[in-house]
Amino acid sequence: MKKNFKVVNNLTPSVDGKGLMQGRNAYVNDLAPENCLIVKLLRSPHAFAKVKKVDVSEALKLPGVECILTKDNVPHVSFTRAGQGYPEPSPHDKFIFDEYVRYVGDEVAAVAAVNEEVANEALKLIKVDYEVLEPVLDFEKAFENASVIHPEDGIHEMFPIGFDPKKNLAASYEMEVGNVTEELKKCDVVVEDTFYSQAQAHAMMEPHSSFAKLDEHNRLVVYSTTQTPYHVRRIISKTLGLPVEKIRVVKPRVGGGFGGKQAFHGEMFVSLVALRTNKPAKCIFTREEVFGSTYTRHPMRISLKVGADKEGHIKAIDCRALSDTGAYGEHALTVFMIVGSKVLPLYNKVKAVKFGGQVVYTNHVPAGAYRGYGAIQGNYAVESVIDELAEKLHMDPIKLREMNSMKEKETSPIFEIMGEGTEGTAMIMESCKLPYCIKRGRELMNWDEKYPVKKVGDHKVRSVGCAIAMQGSGIPFLDMGSCTIKLNDGGSYMVTVGATDIGQGSDTIISQIVAEELQTTMDKVIIYSSDTDLTPYDCGAYASSTTYVSGNAAYNAASKMRERLLKEAAQELEVKPEDVEFDGKVFTSGEKSVTLDDLATGRMYNNDTRQIAVTESFHGKVSPPPFMAAFGEFEFDTETFEYKMIKYVTVTDCGTTINPALAKGQVEGGIVQGYGMASSEAVLYNSKGKLLSNNFDTYHIPSCKEVGELITEFADSYEPSGPFGAKSVGEIGIDTPPAVLCNAVYNAFGVRIHSLPITPEKIFEAMKAKK
Amino acid sequence: MLVKFNLNGLDVEYVVKPGEYLLDTLRSHGIKSVKKGCDASSCGVCTVLVDDKPVLSCSLLTAKVEGHRVTTVEAIQEEAGKLSECFSKEGADQCGYCNAAYALMVHALKKENPNPTEQEIRDYMVGNLCRCTGYQSQQKAIKAYLGGKK
Amino acid sequence: MKAKSFQRASSLEEAYKLVKESPRNKIVAGGLWLKKGGADVDTLIDLSLLGLDKIEDKKEYVEVGAMVTQREFEKSELVPKMARDAAKAIMGPAFRDIATIGGSVYGKYGFSDIVTALLGYKVDLVFYPEAVVGLLDYVKKPGFYDGILTHVRIYKEDLKAFFKKVEITALDYPIINVAVTKGKEYRVVVGSRPLVACRCEKADAYLNEGGEDFAKGAEIAVEELKFGDSIATKSEYRKQLALTYVRRGLEEVNK
Repeated sequence: MKKNFKVVNNLTPSVDGKGLMQGRNAYVNDLAPENCLIVKLLRSPHAFAKVKKVDVSEALKLPGVECILTKDNVPHVSFTRAGQGYPEPSPHDKFIFDEYVRYVGDEVAAVAAVNEEVANEALKLIKVDYEVLEPVLDFEKAFENASVIHPEDGIHEMFPIGFDPKKNLAASYEMEVGNVTEELKKCDVVVEDTFYSQAQAHAMMEPHSSFAKLDEHNRLVVYSTTQTPYHVRRIISKTLGLPVEKIRVVKPRVGGGFGGKQAFHGEMFVSLVALRTNKPAKCIFTREEVFGSTYTRHPMRISLKVGADKEGHIKAIDCRALSDTGAYGEHALTVFMIVGSKVLPLYNKVKAVKFGGQVVYTNHVPAGAYRGYGAIQGNYAVESVIDELAEKLHMDPIKLREMNSMKEKETSPIFEIMGEGTEGTAMIMESCKLPYCIKRGRELMNWDEKYPVKKVGDHKVRSVGCAIAMQGSGIPFLDMGSCTIKLNDGGSYMVTVGATDIGQGSDTIISQIVAEELQTTMDKVIIYSSDTDLTPYDCGAYASSTTYVSGNAAYNAASKMRERLLKEAAQELEVKPEDVEFDGKVFTSGEKSVTLDDLATGRMYNNDTRQIAVTESFHGKVSPPPFMAAFGEFEFDTETFEYKMIKYVTVTDCGTTINPALAKGQVEGGIVQGYGMASSEAVLYNSKGKLLSNNFDTYHIPSCKEVGELITEFADSYEPSGPFGAKSVGEIGIDTPPAVLCNAVYNAFGVRIHSLPITPEKIFEAMKAKK
Repeated sequence: MLVKFNLNGLDVEYVVKPGEYLLDTLRSHGIKSVKKGCDASSCGVCTVLVDDKPVLSCSLLTAKVEGHRVTTVEAIQEEAGKLSECFSKEGADQCGYCNAAYALMVHALKKENPNPTEQEIRDYMVGNLCRCTGYQSQQKAIKAYLGGKK
Repeated sequence: MKAKSFQRASSLEEAYKLVKESPRNKIVAGGLWLKKGGADVDTLIDLSLLGLDKIEDKKEYVEVGAMVTQREFEKSELVPKMARDAAKAIMGPAFRDIATIGGSVYGKYGFSDIVTALLGYKVDLVFYPEAVVGLLDYVKKPGFYDGILTHVRIYKEDLKAFFKKVEITALDYPIINVAVTKGKEYRVVVGSRPLVACRCEKADAYLNEGGEDFAKGAEIAVEELKFGDSIATKSEYRKQLALTYVRRGLEEVNK
């Protein structure tokens, strides 16, 4: 079903790249009105405390202070800040301001003042009476701890997710296929191990920003760096008691999200200030607030038992996980489930598989959505254990994976059982080139020459490690996208979509899909996105949904537009639509013809006038996973255990690459972000629960010098249910580096590091312990 | 206090606070291409050129640019456009937040070292963080733009 | 930063007078550390008009003005190569175009690569009012000098030099840094322990007396120094790094 694409799968510059590099005002803080009130948040210095009294009287006297919000003057309605489909699978456990603060950095009050200096002064004048409580800072001791983090009334789950706050449980989950205990007994070889991952920071370059104002209809207009404008609108509506139609949410250009902007940050505060003062108000987070008062990745402990027969057939997998969701439960259950649902199906030939565990509250910075969304944590554990199993079986680790991993036309029972907090959707892998990815990656890495380790100089060795991964393409039946296409005079198309471009290029690839289907060029497609007033619904940029879900909606709309144009042309030429041919510019039927330009202009001004426009939607009935095989080569110093990445090879099956360069960008960006989690990004708290690693000088994301040679290829693949055969590719790049590095370290030194990041110091200590 | 300097070819005179930083001065006078990323001298998105040399505008007191020349990307539109085309070819055009700073850095590099090696490009650009691209595509694009040697 | 006024001093006398007037008046060199510390200042005293931004060949030594930026330092052919390489490894050019040599040295910061590198040479610091203090003495003694650092004099010597900075990423503070020079005598320096750089005098003595076992030299160096923990790294690993790189430095300068 392959076609020779003219726009799709061709080198296409992003629609906004040039304008952004040339410095156009495009991001939230560039567009904020000059006279905005500045909103600053007073944040708790305690990890856990009861807020007995908030005295703002002195602060209010300060000239220039216009409004102060505290728990005493805002609606007391619980909600979830998570941007997810409704009803949300996250507990409604947050109040705008509550009588408890649950982490160092939790909000206590919001000040709106004429400038930043006055706002900061006012914060100092607010007197808060805290009753300091005993915080829970060890997630392994959180369950049924004497200190209950959410003792308050008025919080609830939207449907059963295992929410039991009196036990510090945000969610829990269990599932089993077959009987794992029995199967493990029958195995010739069983490997058991436990791994710890940590609360990685998104560290996107643009801090969380929002502003709100009243327009001339006195409607609330909110501009936000959000990945989910429609969810923001709904949640503001429910929490502030304002009808949806009175609210407009706009997402302009965003400087990176990675999941960190898939939940509320300042929107509720600026909205309230705008509504109370009738003045525009903005809240731009500092970098310290981005690190310490937005969201992190869920740190987890994952324990695995994997059993196989002596030929290497994996028969049973038992996976137990504990996840730390921090002070609030955004994305608690769903991230947890992905640890299982987007990793374990890789080994679909098992006779039994079990997955389960708990998500606990602690007094840490709240965890939330983050690229990979559980799959990276799960991948670290599973792909490390697979290597351990290979060693015990005396098998080549790649061969073990080839024997046991998913192939085209196969399935896994897990797909049907595990969905987005509820049941899933059964599906056959209509496209799965994983075997090719593994074979090709092995070649590109020259694995056979390099495995396991080679001496390359005095005190220098190089070793290799590998891992395979899968992800998803949107959430079946829940993620929905839509697209409107309007025909302009002159024959260009105005496309409006809800799809949320946060830098991944959805505006560009959607334009490509429309241009391809309508047989036109990119300059004839204009796109506007993510404005709840002007663009039709889209769930937002998460769950790797943009290419597959939003892309399919664009395809549907373009298809419909094409049909419509043929009808219009047929009417014009006085023939039947099926007798009309269209090449993107001209409609022909025998000897007769009319240009799109003429037809469009005529319909607008003087020829049976009407506006030609279509709107179509799409929601997935399956979530076809992209697949990847990754191979990393690292050079280690054998005395200091410092290391560097030499080469990282990936071969990815994401179906058709709508934009090959941008797809490569997604994969490579993901790899380096995952490599940061694996190697240099260390989250550090002090003993009182204060986050110490809260700017780029204390939290080290990779610089360009940490990246070796990236070799990134795509498999020749086609997903029938995807737009022009495409699957999504936004997340999968991040999943493999922790396991790849862990495996390479083992291949170099014979020690396995069970916690992230894998620092030279940890290797040093492991080597000492080995002696 | 009053600070006089040349901004993108135009002489300007701004009233600034003694402890005010160039980043805030520029943004409050309409130059929004200069971004705030960390306000802690650590990420590079606030880079501007002073006398053709790159500096972190979040960490340079405006008072210190008295009598100097400040350049932001508004003054190098053509070069930024050409660099962007190179970025697009490599898929390095993602969220864009670090890009204006990149354009200025490359412009400065070109003046200082028109034919850099790959290592020299990396050494020059190391202080400019990017979370989207994984860097390799940017490095390739910069090399193509400069037409440098191996 | 909070400041009540910004004064461009037209003479060192004027600058010094302002410094003495109040502890809330501060010299602003590059201003990077003032910013990081979250300073709240009365008068910022700027030295840009005082001609302290030159690097000059003064026959016996190279004299580096305190207001010379790290970038100018790294590019000057008058400055010895090891010191230039050390400067080059700090952050990126846009940082180094602001940071000054005076600022790097005066504060004796534990993480300073510049101080570690310079201790591999014979270096004098020139202060106003009139005083010349050896860098080694300045670093060893507690507290800061009551005066304004105006110049750093690096004495010319024919020597082989080694510098290593160990860091997590290229934009990190060093976990440890090591400088080793061999001219007429050995100088072994270890910094960022996390304490400020220190000459390993016992190790120097062993080597200068003819000791040739570099592994032993490194051990002596590590024994005589104090290492501590920092938020991300423990002292034991620091020792391992120091041990390894002092030894490698000694091997390197003897090639």
